[in-house]
Amino acid sequence: MVNDYQNYKTLILPSKGHLRNVSDYEATGGYKALKDVLAAKESTWTRENVINEVKTAGLRGRGGAGFNTGLKWSFMPKPDGGKRYIAANGDESEPGTFKDRVIFEFNPHLFIEGAIIGAYAIQADAVYVYIRGEYRSWINFMEKAITDAYKAGYLGKNILGSGVNIDMYVHSGAGAYICGEESSLMESLEGKRGYPRVKPPFPAQRGLWGRPTTINNIESLSNVPLILTMGSAKYAAMGAKTHPGPVLYGISGHVNRPGVYEYPTGMLITDLIYDVAGGIRNGKKLKALVPGGSSTPILRADQIDGVSMDADSLRTAGSMIGTAGMAILDEDTDIVDFLYRITHFYHHESCGQCTPCREGTGWLEKLLHKIKTGEGELRDLDLLLDLTTQMEGRTICALADAAAWPVRHTITRFRDEFEARCKKSVFAFA
Amino acid sequence: MPEIIIDNQRFTYDKPGKVLQFILDQGLDLPFFCYHPSLSIPANCRQCLVEIGTPVFDRATNSFKVDENGNKIVQFFPKLMTSCSQDMSDGMVVKTHATSDKVSRAQKDTLEFILLNHPLDCPICDQAGECPLQIQTYKYGPEGSRFEFKKVHKPKRIQLGPRVVLDAERCINCTRCVRFSEEISKTNQLTITARGDKNYPTTAPGSTFDDAYSLNTVDLCPVGALTQSDFRFKARVWEMNQTPSIDITNGKGTNVDLWVRDNLVLRVTPRFNPNVNDYWMPDPGREAYHLFNENRISRPEIKLDSELIKTSWNNAKETLAEIVEAHSPKVVFVLGSAYASVEENFAFKTFFANAGISNSAFVPHVISGSGDGFLITDDQAPNTKGCELIGLESLSEKSLSSLINKAKVIVILNEDIIGRGLASISDLDGKTLIYFGTNKTETAKAAQLIIPVTCIAEHAASYVNTEGRIQRSMPAKETMYTNRSLHPEMNAGRLDRFGTKFDNWRSDNNRVDAYPVWEFLSQLAPRLNQSVNWSDSSNLFDEIALSIPAFDGITYDRMDLEKGVVIQPAETEAKTI
Repeated sequence: MVNDYQNYKTLILPSKGHLRNVSDYEATGGYKALKDVLAAKESTWTRENVINEVKTAGLRGRGGAGFNTGLKWSFMPKPDGGKRYIAANGDESEPGTFKDRVIFEFNPHLFIEGAIIGAYAIQADAVYVYIRGEYRSWINFMEKAITDAYKAGYLGKNILGSGVNIDMYVHSGAGAYICGEESSLMESLEGKRGYPRVKPPFPAQRGLWGRPTTINNIESLSNVPLILTMGSAKYAAMGAKTHPGPVLYGISGHVNRPGVYEYPTGMLITDLIYDVAGGIRNGKKLKALVPGGSSTPILRADQIDGVSMDADSLRTAGSMIGTAGMAILDEDTDIVDFLYRITHFYHHESCGQCTPCREGTGWLEKLLHKIKTGEGELRDLDLLLDLTTQMEGRTICALADAAAWPVRHTITRFRDEFEARCKKSVFAFA
Repeated sequence: MPEIIIDNQRFTYDKPGKVLQFILDQGLDLPFFCYHPSLSIPANCRQCLVEIGTPVFDRATNSFKVDENGNKIVQFFPKLMTSCSQDMSDGMVVKTHATSDKVSRAQKDTLEFILLNHPLDCPICDQAGECPLQIQTYKYGPEGSRFEFKKVHKPKRIQLGPRVVLDAERCINCTRCVRFSEEISKTNQLTITARGDKNYPTTAPGSTFDDAYSLNTVDLCPVGALTQSDFRFKARVWEMNQTPSIDITNGKGTNVDLWVRDNLVLRVTPRFNPNVNDYWMPDPGREAYHLFNENRISRPEIKLDSELIKTSWNNAKETLAEIVEAHSPKVVFVLGSAYASVEENFAFKTFFANAGISNSAFVPHVISGSGDGFLITDDQAPNTKGCELIGLESLSEKSLSSLINKAKVIVILNEDIIGRGLASISDLDGKTLIYFGTNKTETAKAAQLIIPVTCIAEHAASYVNTEGRIQRSMPAKETMYTNRSLHPEMNAGRLDRFGTKFDNWRSDNNRVDAYPVWEFLSQLAPRLNQSVNWSDSSNLFDEIALSIPAFDGITYDRMDLEKGVVIQPAETEAKTI
């Protein structure tokens, strides 16, 4: 639990202005971690040491699954002379998530530095930065930053005279939610249709173009220079114990000051809503909260007392941290409409590869539309819950789960509101 | 040997593989749609979900953990796994619908989902009767659907290419067709378009699906989404009977099935033979049914005042005998054909050799560069090697014309020399041409006497493909002189057995008045003082096997059981008589 968050000094986001120019970034101590690592690559910072440092820092992926980043890196097989890649996932298509965007805009070199260190650690030859196509301006920011980094000698052949060669490319997505899933991201990078791949083989064995690949979130990689600068012990002590480090909270919805805020993990949800984000707008009361992007289970207002934004606390409360993109809903929110809109999104974005998701998402949307328009019957609610169990865990990727969870948890947690919208099935005798 | 336990039954396996394929190999049943043994595994239909558990391995003791009774402790995966993509491992425990309610529920659920947007138009769907979706829904599906909304509408009747029509609404997105064009025919002409429940396969804008193997996607399609343009709405599968045969449109000897109703071949589909064609066949072979049905010669014909008129079999035999008797054997030239079977060529050659005519040959039909290295060969004819093996002289086009010039009487077995451009009508001026043929070709029209013979769809006969593999056909169509219910090798479909002669699909119009070559020659034999008696191609082949060393030991039974017999090259050399 973080008590002195008011005095927290941001690490990822600059306190003022942007650091898109290399010189500005270097002035704040940027690229120092990279220089240190490459200078000591035979002694302190061997590849194994970098991986271990990130592993012991306890950095957990910021893309939603929350897997230990260092551990993920250690899954890469031994080099066999062929190409190896990092794919940096900036697809950010989960509704309610807009945190990578601020990194692209305000501190792109922090990510570039982290990605170079990561590529060094796992001996990758290239980093592909996958950014959603809607982020046109942010793609431009990234492209300029990468060009600058090449000019400054941080990328390309023989980086800083160390003999390490790393290239970085930006790839623009074409507007599909599914391409944020790691294996369909790889398909999309390869120029194919964004269909998730069957695992195994895992990306570390057969990833991009059949070569070992690690896929990391933009924010996760941006944390790497911080770990190396401050040391894993200090990083691990920051924020929640099992889920340390700074995190970008993307707060949206019915609050007075929506936006991206950087604080350590483990912030109390109430602090974030009522202090950081300035409280619910128009003095309304809180009704519900979606803590980590639209697929994470919704929490009722009476479920969030004492719950903090970290993986374990949220799991206990019955939800997940996801991407820490919090959507705050005030008391006027029509929860049926809200859920309908979410199911519409997943119906629209299902890639259509696996049967349960392809057909199930459409069915969920149709049922919720029926309830929304007042044509629903009580049995439809049970059917919806039944469908979520039919879909969950039966597909290649987690999109079916992501579509099923909000339905299941919103209906179970707000069943009275759904029942009130359904047609009456029991009538009193006159 | 590693073992795997499926539904409490213990099996051992010797080579690694996928669980679904192993289950199918054991003759057990498990529903699936997207899996195909010759294609990659996308695991997208989610129909083959099973419960899978593996024994817990203890690295410390380097052995499997056991409970107090000494049984291996098995840990099940929390989710259901797709058996098609799951590799077998030693001690793996698999539970299918037979033992797991979870699995049978999942199968019901998946089928309910698949049927959600599938138009239930089975009564007018060509696939009905041989539709995996239909069969599996009856076996494993839910009793009804809980879906009460309008189905998603997608394009119908899209002509994907010259031969394939798509009904996108029926498509269940198994991607078999897309994978076929990527992995087998390698033309990459198909892809899935749109997203979610609006998905369907199509070609890139402006391109058509004109792959030389495009019709295999129709066989692969587990529903009626892809149909063959010229078979659409022609027949229900249960009205036809299915007879194994060989593709005669090139030298590969692709194994096929002929689908016959009312003695018309309605479609040709590939028959699995791992040694020749796997599951596939080229499109031209499917169009060969035109040869069997159309433009057939029925009853002998004789030329009177430059007009071909039908005549009786007796007259035809008498005329033929008179022509042979009236000419010295030296001026009679006998031309066999690589388009005819081993038996036909052998009977032809032997009969005329017995009559003293030793000028027998054939002209191979090889167009170099027309093959593709897969199932289409440069050799246009199905039996070039067979003709060589039985000792017909292989002629070049040039030597053929000199032989034609020298001859006064030319007896041709089913070789369209005019159509192929080997000779012109003027070359045949003043010569007597006797044509044994199946179809009314240009050469047949130039003949003085036409003897109709049965085609591959009407008799059992064997063909030697370019790789030296001898394979045989079975009679699929009745002629005037065969009877489906009496012939031991003819298949009878449901309606053949249970229909009546008043059924409107049944007539005698399509029975050709023709004999097999050997049968006709046997009838002719007494007239020319010969003693041959080949009433049956099986006996004829036994005679061939005895007299020609290359065929030594080969019988029809062996061809059937071994999916074709490879003729040893050494024997081939020993043979050349």
